[in-house]
Amino acid sequence: MGAVQKEWGPYWNPVLETLRHERIRKLQLEKFKRIFKWTYERSKFHRGLYENADIRPGDIRSLEDVRRMPMVEKSMMRDIQRKDPFPYGDALCVPLEDVSEFRQTSGTTGQPVYQPDTWQDWEWWAECWAYILWAQGYRPSDRVFIPFGYNVFVAFWAGHYAAEKIGAEVVPGGVLDTQARILKIQELKCTAMMATPTYVLGMADTARKMGIDPSSLTIRRITCAGEPGASIPSTKKRMEDAWGAKVFDHAGATEIGAWCFECEAQSGGLHVNEAFFLVEIQDVETGEYIEEPGRRGKMIITALDREAQPCVRFDSKDLIEWAAEPCPCGRTFRLIKGGVVGRSDDITKVKGVLLAPSAIEEVVRGIDGLSDEFEVIVDKVGDIDRIALKVEILGGREGERPRIETQLKDQLRLKTNLGYNIEFHKYGTLPRYEVKAKRFKDLRKGH
Amino acid sequence: MHKHAELIEIHQKILSLKNTAEELKQSTGDFPALARNTARILASIKMLELNLSDFVEAGLSD
Repeated sequence: MGAVQKEWGPYWNPVLETLRHERIRKLQLEKFKRIFKWTYERSKFHRGLYENADIRPGDIRSLEDVRRMPMVEKSMMRDIQRKDPFPYGDALCVPLEDVSEFRQTSGTTGQPVYQPDTWQDWEWWAECWAYILWAQGYRPSDRVFIPFGYNVFVAFWAGHYAAEKIGAEVVPGGVLDTQARILKIQELKCTAMMATPTYVLGMADTARKMGIDPSSLTIRRITCAGEPGASIPSTKKRMEDAWGAKVFDHAGATEIGAWCFECEAQSGGLHVNEAFFLVEIQDVETGEYIEEPGRRGKMIITALDREAQPCVRFDSKDLIEWAAEPCPCGRTFRLIKGGVVGRSDDITKVKGVLLAPSAIEEVVRGIDGLSDEFEVIVDKVGDIDRIALKVEILGGREGERPRIETQLKDQLRLKTNLGYNIEFHKYGTLPRYEVKAKRFKDLRKGH
Repeated sequence: MHKHAELIEIHQKILSLKNTAEELKQSTGDFPALARNTARILASIKMLELNLSDFVEAGLSD
């Protein structure tokens, strides 16, 4: 039927997304009191934590009071889990029979943490994602392809439910291989998709090998998660050029929820959904709380409405900073500049210099003639740190190696203050990843 | 943009919806199809509260 399509506005929630900052803060305070009381009354783990710190729900009268509360770290969750009520332990705030969803963290930094959710929590997850998708221009007329392995990792599960919630049509690309996924996108003329940056680039590569130019397909918007790439300008550009689509970043985590997102304005930052989350930034060295733009610190986050296993003052280890300028989209949710710029436990010292793996990615992906893949290996020779950077030159561009090598060395020196042993590998020989890539290897710990 | 009175009116409708769903849940007895679907309706109503009622109840709608 040729019904006239409704004209929708730019905001999923035109009230909350444009609320003045002081009003958002008031809402956050009221909601924080509620989740604190909920958690204090229902979780033996949290109650013990707060009583040890001598703080109770009635003590919170301002958002400054919140800073007196202890933080929760991932390691604490590992310690209390796999015990009764099995497998979640004493952080569980609802009867076990009210849990309807199980997910777990990827285990990148240790034993996975289990995350129970009630159906209300699951609705909430989808709601968080609905804010994201709407801000990125998804509408009921979209046909959204989701090429990920639906399993115990939360990944794009809530993106799937949110796409349904906003009224779009969802095509689950679950167990299909990459070629079959590309053919399905082509056949169904899908207009949007969600994937990790690694997989977005990998799919484009596969499509070209199949003789299909990915930009000739009908994908016009792509939502990324799981890796920082969509906020790294050179990686974002590669994805956008390959697909002829706008690529948007968002950040979320199993224990937290989907807490921030890039909007259609693509202003170089991600909006924190401040109606659903309270984000604090703390200086890693001094412990001082940062309110002003331009100072980087680690994020402490509270999900204000999650009930089964709440996330209250979670020390995420993510490094972020507030942006100075408001976003031209009109949302009053504050922006974090450049997205999640690293992790406090991810930045490593090499030859006495702090090195963030994302800085290397920014350089490699910014050089014309190199493929999307690379690998960084840090090792020790005697007492001296050595960094090997493995890259591939695109097929047919081998003659440009001197120019590429010079450019690469110069940019790496400029952006990271370090020298590298650069190894050129034949195109297609470095490992390819389907979900989260493991391109940075520090072998010094083995010595 | 929505006016204060309109938001209050919407909030009242959400409250009414919630009360009805809660009453329904109480009366479902040994009728899983009604009980579980009502539980899901209540979870959806909670999303209405998060999107509007919390804001109104915090006195932010004027």
